Amino acid sequence: MKLSKNFTNPLAANNPVIVQILGICSALAVTVKLEPAFVMGLSVTFVTAFSNLVMSLLRNGVPSRIRIIVQLVVIATLVIVVDQFLRAYMYDVSKQLSVYVGLIITNCIVMGRVEAFALGNKPWDAFVDGVANGLGYAFILVLVAFFRELFGSGTLFGFDVIARFGYVNNSLMLFPPMALIIVGVIIWVHRSINKDLQEK
Amino acid sequence: MAINKNSNLYIITYTVVMVVIVGALLAFLATSLKGKQDANVLNEQKVSIMRAFGEAEANFDEVVTIGRLTAGEFTEVVDEAVVAEVFDMLGNRKALSEAEDNLPIFKMEKDGATKFVLPIVGKGLWGDIWGYVSLLQTTDNVEITGIVMDHAGETPGLGAEIATDKVQSTFEGKKLYNAEGNFAVRMQKGGAQNEHQVDAITGGTKTCDGVNAMLATSIGKYESFLRATETAAEADVEECCDCGECSEEAIVEPINVEEE
Repeated sequence: MKLSKNFTNPLAANNPVIVQILGICSALAVTVKLEPAFVMGLSVTFVTAFSNLVMSLLRNGVPSRIRIIVQLVVIATLVIVVDQFLRAYMYDVSKQLSVYVGLIITNCIVMGRVEAFALGNKPWDAFVDGVANGLGYAFILVLVAFFRELFGSGTLFGFDVIARFGYVNNSLMLFPPMALIIVGVIIWVHRSINKDLQEK
Repeated sequence: MAINKNSNLYIITYTVVMVVIVGALLAFLATSLKGKQDANVLNEQKVSIMRAFGEAEANFDEVVTIGRLTAGEFTEVVDEAVVAEVFDMLGNRKALSEAEDNLPIFKMEKDGATKFVLPIVGKGLWGDIWGYVSLLQTTDNVEITGIVMDHAGETPGLGAEIATDKVQSTFEGKKLYNAEGNFAVRMQKGGAQNEHQVDAITGGTKTCDGVNAMLATSIGKYESFLRATETAAEADVEECCDCGECSEEAIVEPINVEEE
């Protein structure tokens, strides 16, 4: 029961992007096309899941004075692993993501979950929490990228969808501010459904 | 005996052990994936060159002669170490922009015509721009047959348009040198006005300026070579007809600049 709540909570009711407003920077930057957004989402999921797992395993041995440094080393290592694998096996996507893969290190979701959850919970719970938060982030990224690619380039995953019906691409969709607006709209919709999130 | 986890000794030991483990892990990973990553980079360079040639489907290794321009002479590069040097240079934009000799050049012969591809590097508005241009020597001029360009961070929808086929295709058929013999290809604000110019991108003026500078400097380094072969081609023509009509015609004929 607790485990499933751990998993579903970050996906909707307590989504890291649209409720906690974390990880916005990369959400704006890599959502021009679906493919990089998708890969970025999976990369972040990998990093949150395994940094949570590793930190949870280490939680009883880490000296509290260098806790943050240890977290950074673990997260940075995982990010480099992801970056190296993308360069080797998904070269095109890794070029599109450019610096944003490296910037996963600074993504507040990752360190936030390690600090807030992994250090006080058992490895399996921490791992599930990491996966769920990563997927919560990935879901928003893919959603934003869906609208931006569809209306900005007329394609989905590179396949021509509406351009063939005479749709003229709206290049405004390709600019970062448009991602902010879409995220804003998603937050709006989300809060009008979850009324308890509305601030009085 | 309980370990004091806040003692300096424990912290230092912990840090050292952690760093050694992580370092070893990353070193192993980097070494084992390096071959694959290098192959990706090399493949991308070859694909870009083939796209510049307009033969995206053809196999680079089968049809292209890798060469270097040493002291103004085309020298074919066969030795593997030197080939690696050439591709290293393509991947190093700084070295490429500073190079004065041993310039990379690629040759492809097809249907009796010889095309050359040169690397081009320059600065856009926000960062580096680079690419490859394919050139064909005609009887009295040098013609662009294809160009591919890429950029590090130009503005999407404006300067970044230089990386699109739409912009790149407008360069096709442009002649490098004007009647005075000066390099004349440029992205012209307000629209192309002659057979040398290409429409500039509205809102991307600074990037277009960068492209102009990039073309002039990068192709400029090869000018003596391009000109030398061009003169040779011209001499051939004069043997066949002394009237000079051919060259005049070539200048007058292709005024098919589309008005937008």
